[in-house]
Amino acid sequence: MDKVKTNEKFSKRQKLISLTPIIGLVILLILYVVIGIIKDINFKAGFEAIVNQSVILAIVATGAIFIFTLGSFDISLGASTLVSACAGGLVYNATGSVALMLLTCVAASLAASLVSSVLGSIFNLPVFVTTVAMMSVLSAVSEMLITGKGGNQIRISGLSGLENIWVKLIFLVIFTAICVFVFEFTKVGRRQKALGGNPVCAKLTGISVKTYAILAFIMAGVGIGLGGFLTAVRASTITSGTASDIGMNIFIAIVFGGMPISGGPRSRIYAAIIGSFSIRILSQILTMLLAAVPGANGIAQIVRAIFFLAMVYLASMNYRTKMLPR
Amino acid sequence: MNTPTLSKTKKTARGIFGTLIIPVAVGLILWIVCAANGVSMFSNAQSLTIFVRGVATVMLTTIALAINLNSGRFDFSLGSVATLSAVISAQITLNAGGNALTMLILSIVFGILLGAVSGGIYVLLRLPPIITSLGVALLYEGLAFTITKGSNVSFYGKTDVSGITTNVLYMLIIIAAVLLITIVLFDRSRFGYRYKALMAGQKVSVNTGIKEVSNAVVCYAFSGALMSIVGYLTATSVGIISVDILNFGSIGVMFSAFLPMFIGGFIGRYSNDKLGYLLAAITMTFFSMTYSALSVKSSTQSIINAVLLVVFLIYLSNEKTVKDIAALKHIRNLFKKKTDGETNND
Repeated sequence: MDKVKTNEKFSKRQKLISLTPIIGLVILLILYVVIGIIKDINFKAGFEAIVNQSVILAIVATGAIFIFTLGSFDISLGASTLVSACAGGLVYNATGSVALMLLTCVAASLAASLVSSVLGSIFNLPVFVTTVAMMSVLSAVSEMLITGKGGNQIRISGLSGLENIWVKLIFLVIFTAICVFVFEFTKVGRRQKALGGNPVCAKLTGISVKTYAILAFIMAGVGIGLGGFLTAVRASTITSGTASDIGMNIFIAIVFGGMPISGGPRSRIYAAIIGSFSIRILSQILTMLLAAVPGANGIAQIVRAIFFLAMVYLASMNYRTKMLPR
Repeated sequence: MNTPTLSKTKKTARGIFGTLIIPVAVGLILWIVCAANGVSMFSNAQSLTIFVRGVATVMLTTIALAINLNSGRFDFSLGSVATLSAVISAQITLNAGGNALTMLILSIVFGILLGAVSGGIYVLLRLPPIITSLGVALLYEGLAFTITKGSNVSFYGKTDVSGITTNVLYMLIIIAAVLLITIVLFDRSRFGYRYKALMAGQKVSVNTGIKEVSNAVVCYAFSGALMSIVGYLTATSVGIISVDILNFGSIGVMFSAFLPMFIGGFIGRYSNDKLGYLLAAITMTFFSMTYSALSVKSSTQSIINAVLLVVFLIYLSNEKTVKDIAALKHIRNLFKKKTDGETNND
């Protein structure tokens, strides 16, 4: 009887801990509203800023969940987003077609993702190191695209009609719906979770690591392409610094949203969205609080670091091991 | 009767050949490339200083990365430790009117502290090191920015603090000292044996009583010390410490050490991996000097380095297949020769 009660208590505790990212997001939202009221901010503009900043990150991160589920790690996502935005911007400037621009963005990012995954799969390379090399190559390619015509930027005009939060939210909702379907209701998602959870066992049951790694990179590539398109629409001028904060923030967002770093069956698509919105709301709160402080950006980053570590610590309390994790 | 001696001689020769082939071959090829273009890697009096400084920076970063990565611990905070230790030591030295040695010693002290804190956070939170090091990188970047209130630290007109960076002998001493200490600590001490045991079998080692926590913290502290020297060398040679590294601007340092780490590991099979890191650093600096001599654009440099990394990794990951292919070719050639001989005899 006591054992049953203890188990129930433990199960409740586990549930509560697994909800930490959502609870964190709600707390941050409440804090944002309270501080906003005290500081008398324009909430409409504030929420628009949060959505604008979060959506691109959320889309790219949602696609990247497929890679992280396998227990892999792609460091080249930011550079790939920039290449995609540059390619799309150049095509739009040459043709004036938004559809062609979108297709180019997705094609460019898919090509980059496929190179990484095929290199990793065929030559048995560690995915992380392959993506480190790809990051260098993609940064160089974007620099070539940006400076190709002698300047140091790609200017895009005539896309202001697409620059509104509803367009972005539509992109986010459609892409997330597709990802949720693939991840939760098809064998692709189930097998990817199996590969991330226990690769040896998954391989023995006949699941092809190479196929599902390539599929994961394809899903991530689509997300990067859409992110690149929205980046190009948002930043009417693309420079080498555009989307520079996306790369590592994707990782932060995913972990912040409750995604286990080892991937596997505990992976959740919604982690990317929760994490992306959480870190952007936190940034807005810190901007409000530290507006008049010298070196405010540094202090904001320190708080962000502490918050990140605390959140991840709380969210992973169920999975402590005796030995140090690697 | 002479077989053991011969075998030993053959083994030594193989070791020397395997150890030196990459740096020597790369150096020769790049020297020919430079000569063919009418330039030289060592074109002026400053070239040697730049070369030795490059070797020191790459070697120290590579060892700092390898210490933890060999144990499965990704450390994204290396660059931020270098910057923050340089910022703190520079602020103290410049305000107190200290010299180069003062700044170097202070850098190392703060590097050890920052590394130990980074390791402390890892062992305390028991989160995967990839996560804690991201948090630490954010934290240290933020601290460096906050300490200087966002302004860069400049050494303009402060020649006292850059005395070590402009002296080849001092930098050679740093390289030799670091190499010696690393070899003694990781290959010839009880700590090193335990480190290797943990690296080879974490669970078994912990169960036999090896203290993993203290071993990990020492690794992080040592890695921090090395990165603090890198921070000092970079800051005083450039003449400025840029704190505009918020949002993971510091993690690029880690990626630059991947290729030398793999090359060093490969060379280490024939001699010692730490010596391998030195030779890999020399190899990489040959590349940097050639890029500089040929005025190669930074984007082209990035692509060449990335291709080299991928090609080298493809070789390492498929070494057996490559050797098998080579062996088959060898057999085919032998067979062909034999067949040709028989045809001639007929």
